[in-house]
Amino acid sequence: MSIVTVQLGQCGNQIGFEVFDALFSDSHCPQGLCSKRENEAYQASCKERFFSEEENGVPIARAVLVDMEPKVINQTLSKAAHSGRWKYGQHSCFCQKQGSGNNWAYGYSVHGPRHEESIMNLIQKEVEKCDSLNGFLIIMSMAGGTGSGLGAFVTQNLQDRYSNSLKMNQIIWPYGTGEVIVQNYNSILTLSHLYRSSDALLIHENDAVHKICAKLMNIKQISFRDINQVLAHQLGSVFQPTYSGEGSFHYRRNPLGIDWQVRPPLSGLPMLGKMSLNKEFHFNTSIANLVILRGKDVHSAELGAFKDPALYTSWLEPVHAFSVWKTQRAFSKYEKSAALVSNSQFLVKPLDMIVGKAWNMFASKAYIHQYTKFGIEEEDFLDSFTLLEQVIASYCNLGF
Amino acid sequence: MGRRRRRRRVDPADAARALPEAIAALSQTLPAGPSPETFRRAKFDRPEAAPAFWRLLFCVLSPQLPDGASASFSPEAQVRSVKLALRTQGYPRRALAQLPDDGSQGGRELLLALAWLLAREPLPERLLAQNRVQLGDEMHVCECEALASPGPPAPSVEADGCVDIRHLQWLMGKLRFRWRNLMASQQEQCALLGKLLRRLQRENARLQAALEWRRRELVFWQWMDTVLDACPPEASQPTFLPRIPTPAAGALEPLVRELQALQGELREAVEARRAAWEAGVGGRGPEWSAARTALREAVGQDLAALRRACERGGSLAQPHGPRRLVRTEAGAPRGPGLRAPEVIEALRSREARLEVVLRRLQGQCRQELARLVGALPGLVWILPPGR
Repeated sequence: MSIVTVQLGQCGNQIGFEVFDALFSDSHCPQGLCSKRENEAYQASCKERFFSEEENGVPIARAVLVDMEPKVINQTLSKAAHSGRWKYGQHSCFCQKQGSGNNWAYGYSVHGPRHEESIMNLIQKEVEKCDSLNGFLIIMSMAGGTGSGLGAFVTQNLQDRYSNSLKMNQIIWPYGTGEVIVQNYNSILTLSHLYRSSDALLIHENDAVHKICAKLMNIKQISFRDINQVLAHQLGSVFQPTYSGEGSFHYRRNPLGIDWQVRPPLSGLPMLGKMSLNKEFHFNTSIANLVILRGKDVHSAELGAFKDPALYTSWLEPVHAFSVWKTQRAFSKYEKSAALVSNSQFLVKPLDMIVGKAWNMFASKAYIHQYTKFGIEEEDFLDSFTLLEQVIASYCNLGF
Repeated sequence: MGRRRRRRRVDPADAARALPEAIAALSQTLPAGPSPETFRRAKFDRPEAAPAFWRLLFCVLSPQLPDGASASFSPEAQVRSVKLALRTQGYPRRALAQLPDDGSQGGRELLLALAWLLAREPLPERLLAQNRVQLGDEMHVCECEALASPGPPAPSVEADGCVDIRHLQWLMGKLRFRWRNLMASQQEQCALLGKLLRRLQRENARLQAALEWRRRELVFWQWMDTVLDACPPEASQPTFLPRIPTPAAGALEPLVRELQALQGELREAVEARRAAWEAGVGGRGPEWSAARTALREAVGQDLAALRRACERGGSLAQPHGPRRLVRTEAGAPRGPGLRAPEVIEALRSREARLEVVLRRLQGQCRQELARLVGALPGLVWILPPGR
């Protein structure tokens, strides 16, 4: 089953390129540490998911590139074509001459409706190339203008038009000390809109990835390219083919079919009031965990620690909350590699911080006119705050 | 009275069309089949016809390659492969082996080679059978895959009856998710059926072309005669047959004697061993031979029982994998494979056994439910309508 990727804005397009590059390089890696037949099955599965075939044999990424400025898209297209190994479709991109100026409302209320038809047509064309569509991967930033505002709009449209397909938004959580002054407003608007229309939000924090580059990889001058490549590596290790249970004979057909159960139940619970976050949690309580193992000795890997009930909320048994996917085929030349995708309280603190900062700005109505000018009213802000407070409360409740 | 030959009145326009139409039909049945015009150019050994024919022969002679894989072979590799394959099959004309490896020449020789292959065996039919569309008229008989998978985890029953509402909401979410997956799968099924239909249509066209070819091939063979005439005579016709060296008259004698000597030695060694063994065990006497007979009987019975057991589940213990459904005449001799009535019988008996187990488990469930109900006074229990 195939995934159609929508790359939005500067962030989305740069990361998207690195992701496809990582996927392609890995699938064509000769040393897979497995039999030839296994390697061929892996390659074929990866190819079906992410690339379509053209006459002369060069794979074309199943992607639609969207940006309001031409510069980044042109760079992305040429980088891909330059490699000679894979490329983007000639007519798969949409861009304009004028940016959004980091204004979420402009992206959502102006660019979105204005270019809705063109963008959705591009996506539809890409969908038709798939024998079977598993869903969409939308790569975007949370705090920018085009990526986040337009991204929220596009996700809503995808929800309406392709209600049976899954949508996963890959979101880049901005640096805590980011430069954009309204980034917290943008963030809460993005998150609240996506929470309503997307199926899964896969979050990468810039700060965390930056730390990986600095501490683990010892890179001195960390560029965005380094960060994006780390991100791409992580995403690749999640999305490349795996087997789902003991004794399966085929690679999973459902790459996005993680039983996310993203939403801890919202309604019907008494509000416990604003939680004081001074209380130390012993465990980061999870609602779902997915471990992905690749490479040598996967079958003898000891995973008992993940099945400890203390890790999970009281009303869920570990057997329902914990899944493991495995394959012997090594990823990206790493003899052994593991990835953990976790739906847990891990993001409560960062989220709470952003909500708090945004609220403080909102209390003094700072910069609101930029949004009201383009149709995002104070009520919309209040709705967003309410929803996100509910999300924070629900995640906190997992501890009980 | 003899048979009178009737001369059919042939319209000259039809006669002119007959050859290209025959060639077109042939081409449609072959992979990478060239156009009738290319065939004509090949007869006159025009260089532009050569690459098409090298490609054609490559595809025909290496049928195990998947579609499109031939693109990964360089032209030189294709040429060498074709020459080797023809040589292996005993193609007699030397001129083809002498053609340059870059694939730029040789249209006429290749045309002759193609005709030679066509004359030896029903090539179009064989290729069509090999490349037929896998229809999905297949079913699995073995259940190994189903048995190996552990199935969904059994839902745990809470002993105290308290259910966290969050768990219910979680289950609802899971159900909705599965529902959407189902819809997506159905859409996929539709798309694939459409694809299958288009492939079947293409295959039908090829099958019709094969029938056309068989009707018209005479005119092709008449034309091939003219092609052969157009060839310059071969300088010499050395035989391609490998020379079997005739053994010198006396060469075999010493070998035969040596063989006989070795056989004699072997016989002596075996007898010595047997005598030693008999001496070793023969001391037991009559009880030993009685024990031995009893042993033989027991082993024989075990073997028979094993055979019966194998035959019962018997045909179903055969190699796993999908089997194609083929219709045969009622009284036709039995071909390879399973017969449907046997499979149905085996499955029915298995079904009956499983039904028994199911009834027993249902009874146990009912008893358990009754016990639970008894523990909760005031509860009305409405059973679902029985089957």
